[in-house]
Amino acid sequence: MRMNLVLELLDIPGQLVSVLEPIGGLGANLVTVIHQRDLKNEKGMIPVQITLEGEQENLNLVIEKLNEMGITILELDGVVRKERLSTILIGHVIDTDIKDTMDKINELKGVSVVDLEVKLAEELESSAMIVVEADFGKKSFVFDKIQEIANKKDLLVVNEV
Amino acid sequence: MSEFKICLIGFGAVGQGVAKAINMKKQSIQEKYGKKLKIVAVSDSSSSAITEEGLNEELLLKTKSKFGKLNKYPEYGSDICGEDVLDSVDYDCLIEVTPTNIENGEPAKSLTLKAFKSKKDVVTSNKGHLALFYKEMIKEANLNNVQFKFEASVGGAMPIINFADETLPSSKIKSIVGILNGTTNYILSRMTSEGSSYLNTLEESQQLGIAETDPTQDVEGIDAACKTVILANSLLKIDATYEDVEVVGISKITSESIDLAKKEGYLIKLIAEVSLDSLKVSPRLVKKNSPYAVEGTLNMATLKTDLADEVTVVGKGAGSLETASAILTDLINVIRTK
Repeated sequence: MRMNLVLELLDIPGQLVSVLEPIGGLGANLVTVIHQRDLKNEKGMIPVQITLEGEQENLNLVIEKLNEMGITILELDGVVRKERLSTILIGHVIDTDIKDTMDKINELKGVSVVDLEVKLAEELESSAMIVVEADFGKKSFVFDKIQEIANKKDLLVVNEV
Repeated sequence: MSEFKICLIGFGAVGQGVAKAINMKKQSIQEKYGKKLKIVAVSDSSSSAITEEGLNEELLLKTKSKFGKLNKYPEYGSDICGEDVLDSVDYDCLIEVTPTNIENGEPAKSLTLKAFKSKKDVVTSNKGHLALFYKEMIKEANLNNVQFKFEASVGGAMPIINFADETLPSSKIKSIVGILNGTTNYILSRMTSEGSSYLNTLEESQQLGIAETDPTQDVEGIDAACKTVILANSLLKIDATYEDVEVVGISKITSESIDLAKKEGYLIKLIAEVSLDSLKVSPRLVKKNSPYAVEGTLNMATLKTDLADEVTVVGKGAGSLETASAILTDLINVIRTK
């Protein structure tokens, strides 16, 4: 069977070889490699598309090995992998139109709000926990954007480290 | 047996800790390094005790606690203070532990520069002059060919500056993320365990002496920002001053937000971030079982390096003897080179 992966690699010599090298040893065959160096993202990483052929268990070993090597898998068989990110907003969360805040986050490409919990306080300043799902590798982009939205509404942001 | 003469300026909690620590360790330092430590001058904000013969540490502490001033020190008490102390006696090393001043770095800056000019080494726990004039201070120390050590200025007893310099010289430090203020960590830890409000917890911390009467420097992140600047300059070679740090304190953190964080497995901590892209102090969410989840007045820092990957240090961030331990370590490192 075949498996398509999109990996995120550093644009330095030897990176691609070091990732491809273990594949043969794990009983999987490399079918194609598409390595487009001009698609560098904001972190200086490039997406590399590879197609592998082999038994399911051998393909699983490849995934395990890549995880072990700390390689980010952006897509697996066409499905974009996501990570969960949490943030807390403190201030006049409700009065500054919480629906608009959510909409603005949802408008970001590859980002969606999956959980929202608000706690009201006596002193009117309430707190909201927002959990978003974002494409892998977008953490700093998402947090920067949330900070921007919050700044306009004078909300304090407590982002994940 | 040669002598090593110390001039100690600043006799608050840290200065008294230094006197205590020297009293406890002078014998073993003498045996190990062949130098007899002698405190020849001690000064508080308005008086001093000075003698070439060497002062008695226990008597210094007793005088200060009984009279509140050092001019009552038997025979050698005087009203000399400030820079004049440095002119009144011959010494080898200045230990400068006056309060941090983030407006102009004084009196630490003038005292230190004066000592440099007289070719004396300086050990400090002060942050003000380092956060405002780091480059200038280091340049002056180098010009005068003297040692300037400030391990105690960041993280109290937690080893970090010497640790990175001397234990990890093989690795380039890419970033440092950590908790650099014990008072805010205590307040946030208590709010988490007790469910109490920010203001009540602050009041409790003030009663326990953990927070100061005017807690602004701690709770608004100013203290952590000074330490961020010192780490940026000393370990990442970033030419930054206090104004370059983006600072948000903890005074707006609500007990509701701490509850929400808890539910998702997070804690709220005041985190300092030092990297080429960002100099920042702000409240952040950290995972409950991560190295960032230290409680009480503890400080911690994770150094991200190119060879050693991540290395984390933890230690008491404040306290009189704890801070004195870092000062004494610097002093011993100076003595070793003599």
